[in-house]
Amino acid sequence: MPASALATINFEKQVKPILKKRCFKCHGEKKQKGDLRLDTLSQNLSKDRVAAETWHDVRDVLNLSEMPPKEEDPLPSAELKILTSWITQEIDALLAAQKSTDGRIVLRRLNKTDYQNTMRDLLGIELDYAKNLPPETLSEDGFRNNGETLQMSDLQLEYYLESARKGLAKAIVTGPQPRFFKKQFTTSVNDKNRGGNILNKDQQFIAKLIDYPEDGEILIRAKVRAQFAEGRGYPQLRAAIGYRADVQAPRGFINPVDITSEDWQTIEFRARIENFPLPSKTQSKFPGLLLWLDNAYDEGRDKPIKARGKGKKQKAQKGSLTYPQIEVASMEFIGPIFDDWPPTYHQAILFPSSQRSNEEAYSKVVLRNFMSRAFRRPIRDEEIVPYYRFFKSARQRVGNFEEAIRETLAMVLISPDFLFLVEPSGSSKRSITDWELASRLSYFLWSSMPDTRLFNLAEKGTLSIPEVLEKEISRMISDKRSWQFIEQFAGQWLDVGALQRVAINPNYYPKFDSALKASMRGETIHFFAELFQKNLSALNILDSNFTMLDESLAKHYGLTGPKGSRFERVSIKPGQHRGGILAHGSFLLGNSTGEDSHPVKRAVWIRERLLDDAPAPPPPDVPALDSTNPNFATLSVRDQLAVHRKQVSCNECHRNIDPWGISLENFGADGLWRNQILRKKVKGKGMFKLPVLSEATLPDGKKVEGIAGLKKYLVENRPNQFARAFVTKLLTYALGRGLELVDERSVDELTLKFIESEYRIKDLIHLVVASKTFQSK
Amino acid sequence: MNRKSWHLPRRTFLRGVGASLSLPFFECMGDDLKKSPQPKRFCAIYFPYGVSLPRKNKGKENPESKWQWFPDTEGRDFQFNESLKCLEPLRKHVSILGGLSHPNGRKIGGHDTADIFLTAAELKGGQLKNSVSLDQLLAAKLGNETRFRSLSLSVDGGVGEATRSSTLSFSRNGSPIPALHHPRLVYKRLFGKEDKSIDSKRREIKNSDHMLDLVLEHSKSVRRKLGKQDQEKFDEYLQSVRQIEQRVERSEKWLDIPKPQVDISGLHLDADDKTPGELIKTMLDLMFLAIQSDSTRFLTYQMGNMNGATSIATKFPSLLGFGKNQHSLAHGWNKPGGAEALGKWDRFRAEQLTYFLHRLRNTPENEGTLLDHTIILYGSSNSTTHNNTNYPLVVAGGDKLGLKHGAYHRFGSEVPLSNLFVTMANRLGMSGSKFLDSTNELTEIIS
Repeated sequence: MPASALATINFEKQVKPILKKRCFKCHGEKKQKGDLRLDTLSQNLSKDRVAAETWHDVRDVLNLSEMPPKEEDPLPSAELKILTSWITQEIDALLAAQKSTDGRIVLRRLNKTDYQNTMRDLLGIELDYAKNLPPETLSEDGFRNNGETLQMSDLQLEYYLESARKGLAKAIVTGPQPRFFKKQFTTSVNDKNRGGNILNKDQQFIAKLIDYPEDGEILIRAKVRAQFAEGRGYPQLRAAIGYRADVQAPRGFINPVDITSEDWQTIEFRARIENFPLPSKTQSKFPGLLLWLDNAYDEGRDKPIKARGKGKKQKAQKGSLTYPQIEVASMEFIGPIFDDWPPTYHQAILFPSSQRSNEEAYSKVVLRNFMSRAFRRPIRDEEIVPYYRFFKSARQRVGNFEEAIRETLAMVLISPDFLFLVEPSGSSKRSITDWELASRLSYFLWSSMPDTRLFNLAEKGTLSIPEVLEKEISRMISDKRSWQFIEQFAGQWLDVGALQRVAINPNYYPKFDSALKASMRGETIHFFAELFQKNLSALNILDSNFTMLDESLAKHYGLTGPKGSRFERVSIKPGQHRGGILAHGSFLLGNSTGEDSHPVKRAVWIRERLLDDAPAPPPPDVPALDSTNPNFATLSVRDQLAVHRKQVSCNECHRNIDPWGISLENFGADGLWRNQILRKKVKGKGMFKLPVLSEATLPDGKKVEGIAGLKKYLVENRPNQFARAFVTKLLTYALGRGLELVDERSVDELTLKFIESEYRIKDLIHLVVASKTFQSK
Repeated sequence: MNRKSWHLPRRTFLRGVGASLSLPFFECMGDDLKKSPQPKRFCAIYFPYGVSLPRKNKGKENPESKWQWFPDTEGRDFQFNESLKCLEPLRKHVSILGGLSHPNGRKIGGHDTADIFLTAAELKGGQLKNSVSLDQLLAAKLGNETRFRSLSLSVDGGVGEATRSSTLSFSRNGSPIPALHHPRLVYKRLFGKEDKSIDSKRREIKNSDHMLDLVLEHSKSVRRKLGKQDQEKFDEYLQSVRQIEQRVERSEKWLDIPKPQVDISGLHLDADDKTPGELIKTMLDLMFLAIQSDSTRFLTYQMGNMNGATSIATKFPSLLGFGKNQHSLAHGWNKPGGAEALGKWDRFRAEQLTYFLHRLRNTPENEGTLLDHTIILYGSSNSTTHNNTNYPLVVAGGDKLGLKHGAYHRFGSEVPLSNLFVTMANRLGMSGSKFLDSTNELTEIIS
């Protein structure tokens, strides 16, 4: 049962009698030890702030077994539980009331992802707009799109303005079309014997351009064929652009492509040249732009730093025959490429018009058109006034029309109407307009602004008609932009980012390659994508007969998988211990110490993410795991936790936490199955091994054995709780705010319908968008 | 190089360990930017989770007790234990302070106190509102003479979440100031070359100024249409616009003065969380360069926060070969072998401080060195993990600003840490100041 559905505890009937019996003697009418009097302490926490703080302290001393004092009888655990649960219940209610916005969506700033995508879609140019923005704050629910937690600062605003200027300088062009470059190379530059036409572990194809464009989209076209190697996957062709500097060669890479055939083929890489490190015009020591083609197969792995004192160097593997290779026939550099001059994106802003010759009239229509797209709504005449005023003054300062327009549009791009999802509101709740609906939809499913079609439907006022809306949601889901939803939602909900916070200790896992973390992230994201796009049951998250793997992760897991870097569906047989999120490396490694599993972290993750029943944080000054026992360090974590639970105060919480994680003890920090746990000796050097024990008794008394037992239990005993948790998380993300008491009904209704639809994720998206909660302000 | 010497009276070419720079020649630019004869600076460096504090067992020698962060005896004759031994050559420039903490910090959770390290505030209400941090208070009053009023850095960057903030700096209304965390971005702000001409830059500044005025005006009308909750959120935006307006005005004043040039060879500007050693060192180098070039006088650097769940700094010790992650090391200090494991990590951090202090001390300035005119506060808001009293603190430098060093002082819990803040603030040019809950100055470190 979710916490919210637990029966509430009654103060008069349940709490007071215990207090009377155990506490009032010293903290009542006669004595007030420690200046504390409980019999007159207000139970109305929301009215009496001091009382709330006091009760909070009371809970802490109870949890830490500091009270009752040693001379008195200890509190039986049933009574302790009633007292602490009542305090928790009241404090939670108080906090909820404090934060309540009456279920209204709080003014929400575009987060970094939203901003990047919106700028790209608005200006039509793929640049790195969000690079300098500070990282976003994570909300309490673990999401990065919560209006309340997204902050604004002058530093942030400064970078918005800089980004806007940079983007507009590219989007609005002046002068004749820039010089076009096209050059073909058939042999590589020989650079310290690393250049060649066969790409393997050591060799790259290197070309040098003395003359090159500094702006615009470029194309690198390579004619290549693969040479496969026995038992290895596809070689991967990767392009890079950069230059030679004194110390290192700064370069940027373009995503690798698997070369899946031994026949000659042409591969194209497209990119904006200004996204790469370009040589400075004034430095002359190593002039020219360098282009690389290399074989990314098994490459670019940042090996964890070996523990100190061990300097054994690994023998460099020379390009052996077992390495899949790529042969390069030629490489062509073409660019900058424009579809037209001025380019289409320029014409989308400065469009041809009969009013062109009248600067005032023309600048006003240009502004109206741009503002309407940037503000995602129609623009009234008077709204243009300040922007036009600015244009006029800028026009006098700067030399030309284009520059003045660029600056004026930059002003649009730091206006609150662009940076925030502004939704005017009065004293009572209202339905949102079609324009607002278009934005809510697009930021939910695309993390970007609405496209022309959504704008058109909003303008016609038909978007909110259920049949139209249904069709639009389906269209948006099948659009490739919905990958944003998959990455953002699944990544944040399942906390895939945890992978980056844990470093694997090479003394425990000498073979672990940290490049696998990217594959582990990929597994989880692609797994969620598969469920979402194929509209499969969300229960697959608890257990499934397949997962999504690329070659390196399949090898790591010891499974037969795809040959390349693409993620493909791989079936799981029962004995292989995979299937479901609990067997994903992203979860297992992310919730480990890097040396060993971390059953408590894993347990908290399960309760928080899958069951929406996060345990209370530990009380302050909680003692660490008992270390007085000299043999403590020789115990398995499972046994250490058992010692921990012997202390009544710890047991109260930990008996509800630990078992969830203990059943996953068969997985080490590297996400691999193990039957033994490796431990470092406390005294002396070397390691010793402990057997894995993965039997656990869950809080409701059910015994489960290992991951198989746990998965079976979750699917059979907790599907409804999981469904409710999933709905809660999805709704939180969709709304961009934390859920409140007033949302309970909505969550219940959605959960019911979600279960009826056999837990299909796409169906749930439709239900969420159709809900009143989503459509009101 | 045919320059008349009187024209560039102070032109010095300085070469340091990792980078060098030529000082900008302020004096000969002759505009209204009057410089104090001697800059006074403050720099705070914070690390999370406290330190290793193994006790000496009575009668029996505890081999781990040498990893006790604090010295064993008070006063001027104190001996450094292992973790801080690297500070020995700087002994007469540092004070070790024990027993201090923020009284308000003792009321909140063990991992919640990084936010108030420089503010001493009580995080209140559902919003956990903070108040102004020491560096910002000083910068507001004394930060007018440099290109940047202050510089806030951290490992994680941004502001983070209340109680787990990833910045040490809080503005006068208590809102967190985002910290920068990419070395390259810090470099670009401080020293990056402008690719535009001064004239076009001037036009741009004029535009920005006018633009912000109009945006502010327009925003007020937007605000009126919002609900109450939204208005509160919106005020953050309005305030940012006002602040950036001031920033723009400031940058106009500095327009004609070229940014100082530094040699970046030896700086790992692209270091990130995968290479923590280089990352921390590069940030310290940048801070040194910021001080040396007088780009700013008030700096903070959070070497990790206490958000074990999201901080990228959590894994630093494991990546650097210290065996465990930051949180586990901190929690394990009282387990067998744990005091030494954490102690070694304490030592690594102290070595970073030492490196930074050495750079400041080896750079002459006027009659002394940069260190003589810079007060550095180094420490944590936990003694051992979760424990919000007895902060491990080092105060260094400022010898010529009126601080007296070379001793280990212990204070009782009745002395709030704010007393140290006031002591430092008064030496830096604030007069008779009080900081939140301060009661007095720490006379022990006043010369």
